[in-house]
Amino acid sequence: MRLLLMVAGELINWHFQTQALTKHSQFFDTNYKPFSLYNIPSHSSCSLPLVVFYSFPVFNSSSQISFPLLFSQSSMASIAGSSTFMASLSCHKPNQALTRASNFNAVSLAINGKSFPSLKLHSAPSRLRVSCAAKPETVDKVCSIVRKQLALPEDSAVTGESKFSSLGADSLDTVEIVMGLEEEFGISVEEESAQTIATVQDAADLIEKLIEKK
Amino acid sequence: MATAVPPPSRAEIISLFRSLLRSAREFPDYNIREYTKRRTIDSFRDNKSLSDPSSIAAAFTDGKSQLQVAKRQAVVYSLYAPKVKSIMDIKH
Repeated sequence: MRLLLMVAGELINWHFQTQALTKHSQFFDTNYKPFSLYNIPSHSSCSLPLVVFYSFPVFNSSSQISFPLLFSQSSMASIAGSSTFMASLSCHKPNQALTRASNFNAVSLAINGKSFPSLKLHSAPSRLRVSCAAKPETVDKVCSIVRKQLALPEDSAVTGESKFSSLGADSLDTVEIVMGLEEEFGISVEEESAQTIATVQDAADLIEKLIEKK
Repeated sequence: MATAVPPPSRAEIISLFRSLLRSAREFPDYNIREYTKRRTIDSFRDNKSLSDPSSIAAAFTDGKSQLQVAKRQAVVYSLYAPKVKSIMDIKH
């Protein structure tokens, strides 16, 4: 009896999901290449068996937190909890439909953790990853952040060798600059290393080292 | 009164500043995040010119208790994070 109810619920949810997918289908061609990598047939009608299989273990767990967690790149183990959002997906962005559909594959293959590197790439659009290690680019970015923080005019001389103190920054400004750099590059600077930063070049070198380490 | 507590060192104050800014980052709510950053920056700048050790120590203690509040609240807010992000976050 319970099985019947679950199947019925899944049918309704699946119906909504396909509606959502067709509604947003124009997005799938360009933005969701990784989708095809995993050969997910969920667009077609044969997703039903997958749906039923998937719903079994996680029907009772509904964690509201799992969707934002998915986007913030924390453990993909929370994938399992997102199955109960199916009905609400029709009014959500296609992003969430994508992640939910790709969850099938994760469960059926019993994969958890970092199994979708390309999915992570797409689910983190707001993070700036400096992929090329070109030093001038990093130095330029650091210079622009320093300029913005210290409210310097555009044509002021901020080079790799300029010290923060000579630019008019006190220790509080330096901390704020380091925080801005952390956010910009997605890194985390240690206390001790942060205190040794004195010039723009120091900051750029530290950033490159931390990016490399990641 | 109790024996004089040594005023916090420069490094401690900078470290408190950094911790407060880091705790501000944990908030899922854009408004609270911005407010925390703004408030810590403003208050640390205002108190920069303090010279009396007891007032420096008082401000430091105040800052530390605020840090505890911010840390606790960041945890509580993240338990009930809204599904729809603020427009200011999305524009990025």
